[in-house]
Amino acid sequence: MNKEIIVIGGGASGLAAAIAAKEEGRDILLIEKESKLGGILNQCIHNGFGLEVFKEEYTGPEYANKYVQKFHESKIDFLLDTTVLHIDKIENGFEIILSSKVTGMKKVTCQSIIMSTGCYERTRGSISIPGDRPYGVITAGSAQRYLNIDGYMIGKKVFILGSGDIGLIMARRMYLEGAEVLGVAELMPYSNGLTRNIVQCLNDYNIPLYLSHTVTEIHGNDDNRLESIVIQEVNQSYQPIPGTEREFSVDTLLLSIGLVPDITLMDNLDVEHDLKTKSVKVNQAYETSVPGLFICGNSLQVHDLVDNVSMESERAGKCASEFVLAKKIESNESIKIKAGNNLLFVTPHYVDFAWASRETVIQFRSTSKIEKALLTVSQGDKELLSKRKSFIVPAEMETFTLDMNQIEKGSDILVNLEVL
Amino acid sequence: MYDYVVIGAGIVGSFIARELSKYNLKALVLEKENDVANVQTLANSAILHSGHNPEPNSLKTKLCLLGNKLYEEVEDELCIPLLRTGAYVVAHNNDEEQKLLDLVETTKANHVTEYELLDYAEACKTEPNLAKSITKVLSLPTTKVTYPWEAAFACMENAIVNGVEFKKNSEVTNITKSKEGFVVTVNKLDNYHTKYVINATGVNTDDIAAMVEKHVSFKIKPRHGEYYVLDKRVKGFVNHVLYPLPTDLGKGVLLTPQIHGNILVGPDSKWVDDKYRTNNTPAGLEYVKTNAKHLAENVPFHQIIRSFAGIRATSDQDDFIIEESKEAKGFYHLAGIDSPGLTAAPAIAKYLVEDIMHVQDKYSINKEFNPIRFKNKEFGSLDYEQQLEFIKKDPLHGNIICKCENITEREVLDAINGPLGSNTIKGVKKRCRAGAGLCQGGYCEEKVYKLIVRETKATPLDVCYDGAKSNMFVSETKVK
Repeated sequence: MNKEIIVIGGGASGLAAAIAAKEEGRDILLIEKESKLGGILNQCIHNGFGLEVFKEEYTGPEYANKYVQKFHESKIDFLLDTTVLHIDKIENGFEIILSSKVTGMKKVTCQSIIMSTGCYERTRGSISIPGDRPYGVITAGSAQRYLNIDGYMIGKKVFILGSGDIGLIMARRMYLEGAEVLGVAELMPYSNGLTRNIVQCLNDYNIPLYLSHTVTEIHGNDDNRLESIVIQEVNQSYQPIPGTEREFSVDTLLLSIGLVPDITLMDNLDVEHDLKTKSVKVNQAYETSVPGLFICGNSLQVHDLVDNVSMESERAGKCASEFVLAKKIESNESIKIKAGNNLLFVTPHYVDFAWASRETVIQFRSTSKIEKALLTVSQGDKELLSKRKSFIVPAEMETFTLDMNQIEKGSDILVNLEVL
Repeated sequence: MYDYVVIGAGIVGSFIARELSKYNLKALVLEKENDVANVQTLANSAILHSGHNPEPNSLKTKLCLLGNKLYEEVEDELCIPLLRTGAYVVAHNNDEEQKLLDLVETTKANHVTEYELLDYAEACKTEPNLAKSITKVLSLPTTKVTYPWEAAFACMENAIVNGVEFKKNSEVTNITKSKEGFVVTVNKLDNYHTKYVINATGVNTDDIAAMVEKHVSFKIKPRHGEYYVLDKRVKGFVNHVLYPLPTDLGKGVLLTPQIHGNILVGPDSKWVDDKYRTNNTPAGLEYVKTNAKHLAENVPFHQIIRSFAGIRATSDQDDFIIEESKEAKGFYHLAGIDSPGLTAAPAIAKYLVEDIMHVQDKYSINKEFNPIRFKNKEFGSLDYEQQLEFIKKDPLHGNIICKCENITEREVLDAINGPLGSNTIKGVKKRCRAGAGLCQGGYCEEKVYKLIVRETKATPLDVCYDGAKSNMFVSETKVK
């Protein structure tokens, strides 16, 4: 089988990318490993999706359905219950090995790939929480799936580590399901979730949020079930402060401690990594350093709003289409986009003049909470943008667009955030 | 009436069970856990040591050397995987180099014939990430790595096929002497009559011994050790087992390549009071990290996927204790089996059965004994053409359940339905590695529990992580 574009992953990102590329007339195959399109949106039964894209508020499944319908109307080829095992770069494109119960293992080729493989949750192991290792310590997303899709409760007395959005959403969800939710501990002095989730998921239900706190002990009972946890306040270098211990008797500890882009399929490809986003570097067309390999959505950078995933992936889909139409787009001269003061990361990482017709949508996160800030973008001595911003938090990704006509070849672009 | 009751189905109990099954006798293995290989056998470095370290002329040395060789025999017979890594013991300065030379003397005295001293540059040829502070290396080519619980499964499966009975979730709560031998009480409920008892209970050997002896001649002094697991994507970062110089507290913090590409970092060594508490501590993990840096440059700690801890069943005596009880004839102890216990296990079994219990003088040879235990090659380890063959024979190999480790539906079903199958999340993970990878089950735990439900005709509320009371779910949601 040979396709112009193969989209890997059928969640919010893959659906939007595939639809956008199909609108340009491309021949596409989308591969989804689960038995249903829509990805993680299917388990996000709360509302708050779609305000940007549809100017209306939907639940996760409703939002997904909007795209799934459009996807089916566009008559795009797709495979469900199919796992991509391996990607090889070959001349003029890629060879993919995929596998499923129905088709068995197969090799397919394509000219371009859009990676929309999403992200996975950080686990207890990845942050080495000390203590016993009982059952009842589980990532918030897994608990969400068991609760919202399968219909099972994993516990009745819950504490949550990490104030990521899934953790906050699950605090409310478990509460509404009859569980006692004793609190949320956040290592940082600010929340890692959206403000609206702090208000609607914690404050409205009197669930306390312990900022600058972390879990320092986990106790299991004789049956190796979670019995209690200890949280402690941390100092500025995130070390627990003795004497601040507080014990909670719980049967469940939900972990909402971060998401990591799932890019393992690119292990054997010559991509350039970004240690900050834990993904790969791209140019303004969402193309990696491997020509024709595009990436978008949470596998490029973990978003806080699905609307941004859809819009970003749509742009990536259009670019992949352009790549196929032009047969190949040789990298022209490219310049770096650098993250300056107070920026955790910035994407894209390059402006490639081969893609000069593409606007450059820049996204970034700050390293800390800033009440009033001045955002400046400069190229050498030339200022491309200067804008006052208020209330910038790491939990909310910021987006702005650069006009390509302003950008010249030569020196790198610096994105800076000054505290006012 | 049994001839032998083996208490404990760790690696030692499992090898003994298989050894006993070579004779015409009736044997029963009792395990308090919900699975074979769930305590010490599950939490160790997985190394088959060359025998360079223990005291010359000790049982540890003798059985370590023989055990290392015996694994070569069972590799094919029982499909026990071996990774022939070899090992480097490293020295950092003149003082340590002197100690390394002393170690060479021990190595010679222990009749380890294959060894070589290398300088830093030579060692770096095969181990480019060696710490720059290292000056000299003792190379031990016979050191290997195995997959400890798979080895235990293999032995126990083979023992069962050859007639041994196995009961899990069976905690021995009392033992009394009887006219014919012993009555072993399990879970305060069921009694098993037997002529002989073998006490292979790791950290519990002294407690079990106290059931038949007034004055137990040894005491278990639990020694706690912590580890980090690095993701298999670090494969090749180190290729040998890297040891520091041994101290009184053992072999120290190691870097150990594992069968599936992961690297273990650890363990530390702490005396503890609680022989059951396998917790991780900030101090222990920090110690492990700090010491690993003396072995290799830029250890990829950002690839940590898990930490764990284990308890060594160290005793108050230096050597393995493999003997008949002085107070209760026909009752045999295997105590103080800490490192190199995994290596020695096949030799311990032979030594106990032939030299201590003289089973060959009491029972006839089981002529039907089938030494072969077959296991399919791991799907993920095959090349593309072989994988196609597998799928042609069985389409369930086409369905990938765990995408981090490429574990197929057929492999999960084998883990559930195999001769020593398991209906728990952890049991499935131990058998086929679903959930052992980067996401630690985030993607596949849900698929695995549903397969357990389907295959065992259970409900989701029945599915446990490990022990009988470790149910995944406490209730259905209010609205369904």
